[in-house]
Amino acid sequence: MDPTTAMYVSQGIHGLAYGMILFLVASGVSLIIGMMHIFNLAHAGFFMLSAYFTYQFVAWTGNFWLALLLAPIATGFCGMLMERFLLRPLRGSGVIGDLILTVGVALCIDALVKVIWGTANKPLSKPPLLQGMVHFAGLDYPYYRLFVIGLAVVVLLIMALLLYKTRIGKIVRAAVSDNDMVNALGINIPLLFTFVFGVGIWLAGVAGAAIAPILSVFPGLALQMGMDAFIVVAVAGFGSLRGAFMVSILFGLMNSYGVQFISQLAPLSMFIFMAIVMIFFPHGFFGESEEE
Amino acid sequence: MNILETKGLFHDYSGLEVLFDVNLQIEEGERHAIIGPNGAGKTTLFNTITGTCCPSRGKVFFKGKEITGYPPYKLTRLGMGRSFQLTSTFDRLVTFQNVRLAVLSKRGIRFNLFKKVDKMTDVNLETLEIIKRINLDQEILVPASLLSYGKHRSLEISMALATNPDLILLDEPTAGMSRDETHTAVEMIKRLTAGKTVVVIEHDMDVVFSLADRITVLHYGKILATGAPDEIRNNQAVKDAYLGESENGGITTRHSA
Amino acid sequence: MKKAIKWILWIILGIGLILIPKIFGIYYTNFFVSLAIMAVFSQSINIELGYTRILNFGHAMFFGMGGYGAAQALALIPGMPILGAVLCGMLGGGLLALVLSPLVVRVSGMACAMLHVAFNALFFMLAMKLRPLTGGEDGISGFPIPPFNIPGIISIDMTNPLNFYYFAVAVLGISMWLMWYFTKTPFGQIMIGIRDNPKRVNYLGFKVPESRALVYIVGGSFAGVSGSMYALFQNLFSSDATSGLNSFQPVLMTMVGGIGTFIGPIIGSAFFSVVEELARRYTERVELVMGLTLIIVILFAPMGFMGLYRDLKARWGKAPSLPKI
Repeated sequence: MDPTTAMYVSQGIHGLAYGMILFLVASGVSLIIGMMHIFNLAHAGFFMLSAYFTYQFVAWTGNFWLALLLAPIATGFCGMLMERFLLRPLRGSGVIGDLILTVGVALCIDALVKVIWGTANKPLSKPPLLQGMVHFAGLDYPYYRLFVIGLAVVVLLIMALLLYKTRIGKIVRAAVSDNDMVNALGINIPLLFTFVFGVGIWLAGVAGAAIAPILSVFPGLALQMGMDAFIVVAVAGFGSLRGAFMVSILFGLMNSYGVQFISQLAPLSMFIFMAIVMIFFPHGFFGESEEE
Repeated sequence: MNILETKGLFHDYSGLEVLFDVNLQIEEGERHAIIGPNGAGKTTLFNTITGTCCPSRGKVFFKGKEITGYPPYKLTRLGMGRSFQLTSTFDRLVTFQNVRLAVLSKRGIRFNLFKKVDKMTDVNLETLEIIKRINLDQEILVPASLLSYGKHRSLEISMALATNPDLILLDEPTAGMSRDETHTAVEMIKRLTAGKTVVVIEHDMDVVFSLADRITVLHYGKILATGAPDEIRNNQAVKDAYLGESENGGITTRHSA
Repeated sequence: MKKAIKWILWIILGIGLILIPKIFGIYYTNFFVSLAIMAVFSQSINIELGYTRILNFGHAMFFGMGGYGAAQALALIPGMPILGAVLCGMLGGGLLALVLSPLVVRVSGMACAMLHVAFNALFFMLAMKLRPLTGGEDGISGFPIPPFNIPGIISIDMTNPLNFYYFAVAVLGISMWLMWYFTKTPFGQIMIGIRDNPKRVNYLGFKVPESRALVYIVGGSFAGVSGSMYALFQNLFSSDATSGLNSFQPVLMTMVGGIGTFIGPIIGSAFFSVVEELARRYTERVELVMGLTLIIVILFAPMGFMGLYRDLKARWGKAPSLPKI
């Protein structure tokens, strides 16, 4: 295979890996919007928090796999605490209250991270098992990125199974379409909310832990991922998981090929893309227009 | 002369025919009731007339002019007023401000940016007068959302009337009211709409027979019969339609609320 | 009697404003000017967000148009009077709003918010990249600050901070008063009507889209005024001021003060500025303090300080409480 094709393929893998990570974050945002009608502006903050947790667990135990398992769980737990003690008392006071609160939490996470870990980059090496390249058909693929793609697929399959095959998944899906109905069935909605919020944050946590060895861990992580996830959710439309998946992958690929060809304008092109989409599809590609 | 006329009105709601060839004629000055079981398309008929949605086929004429698909604000300016089945007021504004908005509209004060509304004496006086007429003067500074149900409904109806329309469409003005409230509301409607054309959707047959000069029966999107109250009472097709689903408020003079 | 008290209060406020530089010294005078700029900026978003429910989360664009408008007017046109520069800023903000208004008219709710964030991000990128026009991250700086001239009568040097303070108080005070007047006109009532129930406004015979567009343009214009005053005050306007973060700040201030009330954004800006100043002075963690403050305020006063005030008044039986938005 000639070098140009090799470059295309390897950029494609980069894009795909980033797209999958992006989807893990965006799907959490989408899930929470669909279920609780809260646009969680602190979501990317939790993503970053998980990356830092991963770094910390690796520093303590030296075992990346353990960190990959524990960091998202710890992050999800933090999310549940936030839901239980901050969001729940505020329920029913409207969009505005939720918005301020999540901004407040985002600011706090940002500040706390700087207080605890400082502002310097924290490098995290890939686990020895996943270093290096795999050779196939005359091409080199970085092991770790393939692993990230695989991990995301597994997580998504588990989520899909949960959502479509279990009782709790059915309840969640029912609650997304009609809260009152589920409430009337005698299901503990507040508990369900806490659980779903926790799962949404856990998804961001998985993404944060997985991406930690690729990007280095630094305080700007939240803003970067926040912007990208925001664009995905906006372009895909609120509450649409299918849409979020397609747009995430598209976005990831556009990003990596964009950097290749128009590196100067790559960030700009994403926003132009988003602006154009939103002019013609104000509710996103897959979103439904809400009633005023 | 017919103040309102629909010609061959059709409306389908994602494949489901809600209105089917509706030809309605409302004469100037009459009080016309539209009755029919739930899901007969009464509110949809109002919606297609007043511009909430366009009919899929057919035409609507108001004062002899075709108005099919006109947006609501245009129709209001032409002299059509409407109240809603689900009370639709400005919840955070007090009674006075609610009615005053209607008065402003009636007087054509829209993009006036040079005078304070509190200083427009004639507007405010007229608003007060309207509020007195609907017996809400005790609640003049209460936010609309905190009014009692009956009073909230009165406010709703009065806002449709305050723009001084020639044709008034009332969508179940007494829905959910107690017997006393209904009685008061009917008296109020009669009083306030004297000399005007009124089309009213109503479930309560007491109200229908005490209010209407003519009645149209709508059944599954079609007009079953139109005529004076007595004709309707004795119409066999109407009896059949209603007896078929007597659970849904048969054509007796039983109070349904 | 009541009118007399009102006038006395106004006079006290006026004297207080005149005396601020004498009492607090120049540092706090400048602090007050930036607070006042923020208050006008917040009020201009409150008119859209709080009064009419146009979810504009990209207000820094209009602020930016104001800043660049004023700065470029002064840098490029010799002999530009200072009020002319402010007017240029106002026109800049208004013009951008006019251009974007067809979108706002078509789109409402959360989609409108998203659209604004998107456009704001685009605007910010352009502000960084179009260096010849905007100076990028370094911004436009060093443009002349002309004296305030009334030909033949007086010429006041505006590079003197004290003089500039009085100028700023006048311009911002008048802007505030104009916006207040705007909310008190019949049109102001229509605005609130649109917030509560656009369908009913339509059925009352008012044009909802056109009305929304007008509010949007007025809001954009006053954001332009605040942007131009900011540029004059700093003698610098850089792309930082147009970032999405700067769009969010006035929204937060408005929400914390009490959205949809006229006094809310003013209280919110004052509160934020003071807390930020204190945090900067006594701690090293400004963000943390701000974040915690936001959370605490919102937990105890979900509708902002004015909402809290209303609830307390309702509890003492003096006024009915209002439904939340």
